[in-house]
Amino acid sequence: MNKAWLHFVLIACVGCLGFARAQDAKSARQIIAEAAVLSDDSDSQVKLVQSLTGLGDPETEPLLLSWKEGGIYLVPGADGKKVAVTLAGDPDAAKKETAIRLDIKEPLKDAAGASVRVSPTSAELAETDSSIRRAMKAVTDLSKLAAPNAKDRLMAISQLGMERDVSKLPILEGRLKVETDGQVKRAVQEAIALTQLRSPDAAVRLLGCKALEEIHPLSAKDALVGIIRDSEKAGDKPLLEAAKKALSAVESHRTVVNFFGTIFRGFSLGSVLLVVAIGLAITFGLMGVINMAHGELIAVGAYTTYVVQCIFAEGLVLSPFGMQMSLPGMNTTGWVYEMYFVIALPMAFIMAALVGLALERGVIRFLYRRPLESLLATWGVSLVLQQIFRLVFGSNNVQVNSPSWLSDNWTINDVIFGWNRVFVIGFAVLIVIGTWALLSKTPLGLLIRAVMQNRNMAACLGVRTERVNMLTFGFGSGLAGLAGAFLSQIGNVGPSLGQSYIVDAFMTVVVGGVGSLIGTVASALGIGVIDQSLQQILGNPVLGKILVLGAIILFLQWRPAGLFATKTRSLES
Amino acid sequence: MKFTRKLFTSTLALAALSTLLPAQAQDTVKVGVLHSLSGTMAISETSLRDVLLFTFDEINAKGGVLGKKIEPVVVDGASNWPLFAEKAKQLLEQDKVAVTFGCWTSVSRKSVLPVFESNKGLLFYPVQYEGEEMSPNIIYTAEAVGQQATPAVDYLLEKGYKKFYLLGSDYVYPQTTNLVLLEYLLSKGVPLENIGGGFKKDESGKIISAGKYTPFGHTDYQQIVSEIKQYAAGGDTCVVSTLNGDTNVPFFKEYAAAGLTAETCPVVSFSISEDEFRGLPAKQLVGQLGCWTYFQSIKSPANEKFIADFQAWLAKSDVPGIVKEGRVTCSPMVLSYVGVYLWKAAVEKAGTFEVEKVIAELEKGISFDGPGGTVTSQKNHHVTKNVFIGETKADGQFKILKTYDNVFGEPFLKGTFKSK
Repeated sequence: MNKAWLHFVLIACVGCLGFARAQDAKSARQIIAEAAVLSDDSDSQVKLVQSLTGLGDPETEPLLLSWKEGGIYLVPGADGKKVAVTLAGDPDAAKKETAIRLDIKEPLKDAAGASVRVSPTSAELAETDSSIRRAMKAVTDLSKLAAPNAKDRLMAISQLGMERDVSKLPILEGRLKVETDGQVKRAVQEAIALTQLRSPDAAVRLLGCKALEEIHPLSAKDALVGIIRDSEKAGDKPLLEAAKKALSAVESHRTVVNFFGTIFRGFSLGSVLLVVAIGLAITFGLMGVINMAHGELIAVGAYTTYVVQCIFAEGLVLSPFGMQMSLPGMNTTGWVYEMYFVIALPMAFIMAALVGLALERGVIRFLYRRPLESLLATWGVSLVLQQIFRLVFGSNNVQVNSPSWLSDNWTINDVIFGWNRVFVIGFAVLIVIGTWALLSKTPLGLLIRAVMQNRNMAACLGVRTERVNMLTFGFGSGLAGLAGAFLSQIGNVGPSLGQSYIVDAFMTVVVGGVGSLIGTVASALGIGVIDQSLQQILGNPVLGKILVLGAIILFLQWRPAGLFATKTRSLES
Repeated sequence: MKFTRKLFTSTLALAALSTLLPAQAQDTVKVGVLHSLSGTMAISETSLRDVLLFTFDEINAKGGVLGKKIEPVVVDGASNWPLFAEKAKQLLEQDKVAVTFGCWTSVSRKSVLPVFESNKGLLFYPVQYEGEEMSPNIIYTAEAVGQQATPAVDYLLEKGYKKFYLLGSDYVYPQTTNLVLLEYLLSKGVPLENIGGGFKKDESGKIISAGKYTPFGHTDYQQIVSEIKQYAAGGDTCVVSTLNGDTNVPFFKEYAAAGLTAETCPVVSFSISEDEFRGLPAKQLVGQLGCWTYFQSIKSPANEKFIADFQAWLAKSDVPGIVKEGRVTCSPMVLSYVGVYLWKAAVEKAGTFEVEKVIAELEKGISFDGPGGTVTSQKNHHVTKNVFIGETKADGQFKILKTYDNVFGEPFLKGTFKSK
């Protein structure tokens, strides 16, 4: 019922505008066809697109969408001038399709009168740039005000709010009366209040300030500062008071948002540290192996993700050591392609675990009682692995695209919760629970703990310590691979990926207390939150990090064994 | 017996060769190439070595310079700045090169500068830089701030953007560029509160640093992106980025995840060219802006020929370890190419390889029609050229949005803009 009424209002509004132009009316089709060919003159393109506003042509939106997504082509017509066309979708043997003129919806004829057929891969695309897409968005947003999807409505309304066009106030007020969704309603109120600030009528401006004080949106700061300046000049006391009150409400809201935002970002940074360090907490913390190649095991996971991504797309040609090696691609698209990351996670674990096993069998097992030699040997291994990455994948970074289900966000009360960040927190929780369960609830875990506490005694009791060592190291390496798979979603994948995380990983484990899983968790989250808070307070990313490192050095002076020191009665230690 | 005869003939051959060699050497002119072929900068600088070798071959095929073939002397600066100075010395004192093409980072240029000045050498420098320098022995084909940063800001102002967030890597180029931009924006009537990223002031209250800076290899951009998101909430905001190299990846991934797009808040980057694009996730960058004096997508016969010739040269090149797949051309490469031709023209006008006379010719103004349009050398050792604003596409190329023709290269911009 309500909706129907709104549609009526909208159609009436738009209709009025439409009638006014009826004399020189061009259809949306004609205007878009005219705009698409002007590819060298983006300003006139923008003007033409803007002229579509209020035309009320139902074809406007689908045509603009098709233009934006590359469905419109530019083909030379009979007189040699370029004509905007769409393709009929009737591919022949040469994959050519009939070109349909955009403006009159008829097949394009060449000089001889035959219809022109072009191939979608070789024809010139009508391109768009961001200023045209902004104009398109402004046009489509107005019609999206009544969209059934709340998110679409939200986008449309915030766009209108930013425009702050007083003439659009009635439309917004009409929307407010019928809006049911709480979030959208707030956005409409915000847009109305912001637009009211532009009103020539002082009373309306005052109304706007009062409304802004109540809803205190972050976007209002600039507008309010402007009002304060103007009203100070004009000596408008009540308006000045109201604007100042509104501004302080906005600022106190910003403080709240920053507080919660910082805590969330701290947890997410802590989770990244935790994911990176947990493999090391096992190989270094439990087994006592100083594995400088841990970073390269992370890189193995990241490169595995890259390879899996390529196999889901067009495949991959590698030329390691002068040999040509090609991996076939599955050419998937859409949601199947987006799921590549789900496959990449276990693959990264397996690959890194295999490399870890080889490392353990080949190098580390000879060095269990000689930590200094193992440090040097694994450092050498890390250099060898880095060179192998360079030889196989090249010294440039490789591109890993984030699936769309990791590159969006929830915004709750202006605090941004990025999906990649939410994912890493959940991921870290799962890994910690999994590791804890493996160590304390499974027979293997029992053996691991026995061997780590007293290798000789465990061997005397018939535990195959060699095998347990191997499996433990493999598991720790696999966890590093998982970390790499995740890091590929937020940063670079290149030969030196491992180098940039190895220090953080050791730092986290040492601060937490070598040998303590819970210590690693606590130190990772602690470092994360402190780092982000300092960044927020100091406004400088470098200074925050320096202070954290300084604090860690002081802390280790005071408690050399870390947060959670393991107590042992073993004489060895 | 047989053996001695063999030895005899080969000695003879050697003797013949050694008498031939000096004769041959007179027909060549030694030219230095000073770039990092190993270390962190190798990724970018190797491309410049490649394009220089291509240019020399192209010139040699047409008869060389003043009838002499170019003989390149390639040395590796290894991303090590003191080593750059040593290698420069070697080129000038031992190899006695007529000219050197090289350097990428400002710090490498600063470390070779005294060597070129004391040895009266000649260096062509091809990469966008911060200005505030004019050595009598260096020709800067590079983009000065006025040929990249200020035209980009002009474009954004024209498009109606009112707030500018400055972000960069923490070293001399972004710091200086942003200070110049700050003055420029203020002179265009943008109020101080509409310039984001924070300011650092000295005791007297003078701004000594504008914008937000992160170290090389920084990975966590959460805080900065959330700050930009709040800053951009009021609309009409854009980001001016001088972030270098691979820090762009975590930045743009975080940027996209926070829901910021080229339509709501575009980023104009001065350090991402087609060549850098090879290691960046294209999807996250689509629609963001770039500003250079050359784009591979320029539609002109000169550019099409340049690209085709370069690719053909690559395909049959036997330079060890050269990358042949997926190669693109970009502004620093073209400015290296243009530099060689400007030098050639100056030498031919002067009729000698003598550095002083060549520089004198260059100062008089020499034009060359390059892939990016006509470039002309200036009295102040910089180069007049066209400036293009482009928008990144999913295939790693730029769609050209705007061209500023024949922009004068002015190195000393700081302090020249008066705020309103």
